[in-house]
Amino acid sequence: MSAPVLECDRVTRLFRVKRGLFETPATLRAVDDVSFSVQEGEVLAIVGESGCGKTTLARMLLGLLPPSGGSIRFAGRPMRQVGRSEIAARVQPVFQDPYSSLNPRKTLGQIVGLPLAVHRIGGEPERRSRVAEILELVGLPAHLVHAYPNQLSGGQRQRVAIARALAIQPRIVVFDEPTSALDVSVQAQILNLLLELRQSLNLTYVFISHDLAVVEHIADRVAVMYLGRLVELGGTAAIFDSPRHPYTETLLRSILTPDPSLGLPPGPFGGDFPDPLDPPPGCRFHPRCPSAMEACRAVPPAAVTDTAGRVECHLYNGESHGR
Amino acid sequence: MIADSVLRVRDLSVEIALPSGTLHAVSNVDLEAMRGETLAIVGESGCGKTMTALAAMRLLPRRARLAAREISLSGTDLRALSDKAFSAIRGNRMSMIFQDPMTSLNPVYPIGDQLEEIHMRHRRAGRRRARERAEYLLDRVGIVNPRARLGQFPHQLSGGLRQRVMIAMALMCDPALIVADEPTTALDVTVQAQVLRLLKDLQAEFNMALILISHDLGVVARIADRIAVMYAGRVVETGSSGQIFGAPTHPYTRGLIDCIPYPGKTARRTRLGSIPGIVPSMIGDSRGCMFRNRCGWAEDRCRTDGNAERRIEEGHSYRCIHPVGHLQGAAS
Repeated sequence: MSAPVLECDRVTRLFRVKRGLFETPATLRAVDDVSFSVQEGEVLAIVGESGCGKTTLARMLLGLLPPSGGSIRFAGRPMRQVGRSEIAARVQPVFQDPYSSLNPRKTLGQIVGLPLAVHRIGGEPERRSRVAEILELVGLPAHLVHAYPNQLSGGQRQRVAIARALAIQPRIVVFDEPTSALDVSVQAQILNLLLELRQSLNLTYVFISHDLAVVEHIADRVAVMYLGRLVELGGTAAIFDSPRHPYTETLLRSILTPDPSLGLPPGPFGGDFPDPLDPPPGCRFHPRCPSAMEACRAVPPAAVTDTAGRVECHLYNGESHGR
Repeated sequence: MIADSVLRVRDLSVEIALPSGTLHAVSNVDLEAMRGETLAIVGESGCGKTMTALAAMRLLPRRARLAAREISLSGTDLRALSDKAFSAIRGNRMSMIFQDPMTSLNPVYPIGDQLEEIHMRHRRAGRRRARERAEYLLDRVGIVNPRARLGQFPHQLSGGLRQRVMIAMALMCDPALIVADEPTTALDVTVQAQVLRLLKDLQAEFNMALILISHDLGVVARIADRIAVMYAGRVVETGSSGQIFGAPTHPYTRGLIDCIPYPGKTARRTRLGSIPGIVPSMIGDSRGCMFRNRCGWAEDRCRTDGNAERRIEEGHSYRCIHPVGHLQGAAS
C-alpha cells in the first residue's frame, strides 16, 4: 500500500454570492465536508455535473484557493505550512481550454520554460535542453519551440499545456476537463499520451471530467460529486460495474455508448439540477432520486465506508433506515 | 407516396474566398432527409457539417459562395426563392435549433414574446392564439407551469430549460424539418439524455424530418436512423445507423469509432485507437481524398482518384479506394 500524497479531511469551501443589487449575499457551499485521499501513482477521477464543486476542489488541491474549513495535507504536511512555491513545484495543473490557458505573446519555448525560470532550475542552456526534452516527450516536433500558440491546433496546444505542467517534474498533475474542448480523434491522442506519461514518469493524476466514458478508461478510482458533496468513492470497476449511490446510477445510465441497437436510455433522470444556493434539505439528491425515502427528505445521510469504498446514502446506512 | 422526402440536397458546395485562397468548406455533398426519420451528420470541427446545414437554411455568411444542383424542401426548389419568400419558410416549414440557447434567445424579451412572435408572423394569427400555442408547446417539451414561464427571461432559466424553450420555438409552426446543430453539447450528461429523448419523441409525434448535427458518436448512434460522416467538407460515408456502426467502411469512419472509449468494450487503461496527424487545410486544391495524409492505406491514386462514390448495398455508400472492414482487399 502506497502512501497518500494528498489528503482532504472534511474540506469545505464557501463563497459569498450576491444575487441582486439590494439583496443580502447568499452563501454557496461549493465544496461541503469532503474527505478523500490520493495515493501515490494512482489516477483519481472526480466526476459530476456543472456546479457540483469539482473545479473548486481542484483549485484547493492546487493550493490556489484556501479551504474555508477542514484541511488538506500534502505528503503528510498541512498545505498551509508547505508554501505556495513548493506546492507549485509538486502539484501542477492542466486546464480545459488550451486557447485561453497559453499566453498568445510567448513562444512555446518561453511558455514551457517559464516554470523552470520561476523555480530557478538550471542555467539558460540547461533550461533550453530541458524544454526540448519535454517537447519531445509530449510528442511535439522540436522546431515548434519558436512557434506561437496561434500557429497550433487545439490538440497541439493541449500538448504544450501538458509539457508546461511537466517541466519542473511535479509528482501530481491536476487535469480539469483536459479533453472536453478537443475533437474525438485528438482526445484519443491526448488520453494515450497521458497514460504513457503516467507510466514513464510515475505520476499521480487527479482527473476532473464530466465524461464518464473517458473516466472509465483512464481512472483507477472514481469520486462522484453532487452539489458540493462527495456522494460516492470507489475503484473504477466497482463504480462502473456495481454503482451504489442512485446519483451514480443516474450518471451511468446517461452514458451514450455508440451502440445503435440500444436507443436512448430510459428515464427518469429526475428533472433539473437544483439551485446550488438553495440546496434541498436532507440528502441533496432526494428531489431527483427514484428511491428517496422519508428520511432522505429530512436527514443528511452519513457516509458509510467499507471495503468497496465510500457512499453517502440512506440506502446504505444500516438497519436504522431499512434495506 | 412511398418515400416522403422532405429536404433534398444534391451536389452542394460552399466556398469562402479568403486572402490566402479559396476555402472549400463543403464539397459535392448529397443529403436527403425523410419524413419521420432522423439523419445525423457527424464529423469533427471544421468538417463542414454546420456549413451544410446553414446552406440549406440560407443562413450562410455573406462572403460564402454556394453552388448546388438541387436544394428542395418537400418538392419546392429553395434555390429559386427570393430572400423574402425564403424567410416565409424559415422558422415556419423548416426551423433550426442551435448549440447555445443563451446566445440564440434574445436576453431582453420574455420567452413568451419570442415564441409568440414566430407564430404571429408566419400564421398571421392573433396574440391570443399564439399564446395558447406557446403554452401548449412549453408543456409538451416538459416545462412545468408553462404559463408562469412565458413571462420569464432567458437568464432566469437553466441551460436545460433554455434548450427546451428553443425546441418549443422550433415547433411553433409545425415544421416539416428541424435542423438541430449540436443541441445537447452545452448540457450536462443527465440533461442531455432527457433533451434527446424529448427531440426523438416529438419527432415521432409531429412526424417531422430531423437533421441532427453532432460530433458525438454516442449521441448519433442512439438517435439516428441514417448517418452521413463528413470529413474535410465531404460526406465520406453514408448509411443506416446499423451499417455505419456495424460495418464502417471508410478508414476515417473506422478510425473515429475506434477513438472513443467504450465502457465495457475498450479495456481500461489501454491505448485507444487514434487517427494520427491533423485535419488538412481546406484552402486551395481540394482534389483527391482529403483523408489521405492521415490514412494508413493511402497510395498515389488517392491524390486524384479517391472521391468517386461506391455503393456497398442499398443505402450504404462510401468514397474511398481502400475500404476497410469486410470489404478490405476486395476493392479494385
